[in-house]
Amino acid sequence: MKSLSLRQLAGIACFWAIAIAPASGAAQTAAAAEPTSSTGPLSGYMDFHFNKADGEPGVLDFHRFVLLVNHTFSPKLRFVGEIELEHALVEGLEEAGELELEQAYLDFLLSRQFNVRAGMVLVPIGIINERHEPPVFNGVERPFVDTVIVPTTWFEVGAGVHGELGQGLRYRAYALAPLDALEFDAEEGIRGGRQKGSESDVRNVAFAGRLEYRAVRGLTIGASVWTGESSFATPRLDTTVNIGEIDARYRRDRLELRGQFAHVGISDAARLNDALARLTGVSPNIARSLRGFYGEAGYRFWNAGAPRDLVGFVRYENFDTQFRMPDGFLPLKEFDRDAWVVGLTHYPDPDVAVKFDYVRLRNQSGLLPTRHVLNAGLGWWF
Amino acid sequence: MIRLPLLVLLVLVIAMIGPAPGQAPTRRVIEVTAERFEFWPTQITIDSGEEVEIRIKSDDTSHGFRIVGAATNVVIPKRGKGEAVALFKADQPGRYTFECSRMCGAGHNFMRGVLIVRDPSAAGPR
Repeated sequence: MKSLSLRQLAGIACFWAIAIAPASGAAQTAAAAEPTSSTGPLSGYMDFHFNKADGEPGVLDFHRFVLLVNHTFSPKLRFVGEIELEHALVEGLEEAGELELEQAYLDFLLSRQFNVRAGMVLVPIGIINERHEPPVFNGVERPFVDTVIVPTTWFEVGAGVHGELGQGLRYRAYALAPLDALEFDAEEGIRGGRQKGSESDVRNVAFAGRLEYRAVRGLTIGASVWTGESSFATPRLDTTVNIGEIDARYRRDRLELRGQFAHVGISDAARLNDALARLTGVSPNIARSLRGFYGEAGYRFWNAGAPRDLVGFVRYENFDTQFRMPDGFLPLKEFDRDAWVVGLTHYPDPDVAVKFDYVRLRNQSGLLPTRHVLNAGLGWWF
Repeated sequence: MIRLPLLVLLVLVIAMIGPAPGQAPTRRVIEVTAERFEFWPTQITIDSGEEVEIRIKSDDTSHGFRIVGAATNVVIPKRGKGEAVALFKADQPGRYTFECSRMCGAGHNFMRGVLIVRDPSAAGPR
């Protein structure tokens, strides 16, 4: 065996010394982990769906293709942007697809208690609107309540503050462009009224706020409000939209629970209906209040970590976009709906969700049948 | 063949570098869980001069754990893929913000917490 020279031994000793000696300074770090996937300044999520309702042809839809970009000017000044292509194609009409700027804001991170955010922001209402990455929620499609009562994804231009108050309390409060009441309708409520930061009319300003409480491990309780005068295009009206919402999420061991209740009030709805009837020739039958709630229980049947992660869930939803009508208007019972959703979510990777569910969607009209829908979906975050 | 004096020198160098495996100084271990878009606990309190070992696991995607103003910045592996370990010691009382340093979704910038370094002679229970 060839002997080592003194220089070689000294080199080995130095290498060892550098490799295993503690680093100087206040902090040292190490990782004890399997290799993780890489990411850069670009991240995002995708949502690919198959929907088959009874009596209807199946539909394959690349529902969402979302890219997020972020940039750190300094530790206290950051940019986040999110661009979303819906339904894979844009032809100028929403039905054929949308290209949306869902987030583009600057965060001025001043302190734990007080930070300023300005730009295109997500409205802080409900569970899903700010937590909508596909692996984060069960079900191929988002909850109905988070579609027709709380119109996710809801984003607007504006500015506001956010921070933590201690004792597990976290808040957001924004001044934003209001909804446009001329776009409300009976079936989807206020959803069509989102101005989406596209030359938004801000003769009136809306206010949105959310308070979250998280002092118990695994439990998050949230409450949100929105208020804004929404009839700026018809100044003689006073259509103010007020939204109140509460929600809770809880997770312990294999059990996951979540629930949400949301109520929307629309003032001056009778005169809004009259004004729209004069404009379009048809009364939109907009309600003076909308209401929705859901409860969901999930259980992690397979809990060994990806790819051995499997969650089964059941969700009940009740939602009515004609909950209370203005005087002189009758509710359309087809819009008083409830749904049972039962399904599975499998995680071959923590960032990849393979989803299957069955939906039984009923309405109170007596004329329109109950819908039975099978859904399959593939969603991923990177 | 390695000469005996050189072998002794090598052993001495290793001995001077630090304790042998299994004889590491005892330090407090703090376990932290990360998930979109929060850490648990959101507040950590240590004493000045105390070195702590922060072990961070994720319940979902990969996150980062950075202590602003310190050299600590580790990648937290995805759920089930292990844990990140960060050693931290501060000699002076103060407050540090810790935050997710890896884009994890729409609420990424909300994912923050506070690490309080207190004066042990003036402090009550943690």
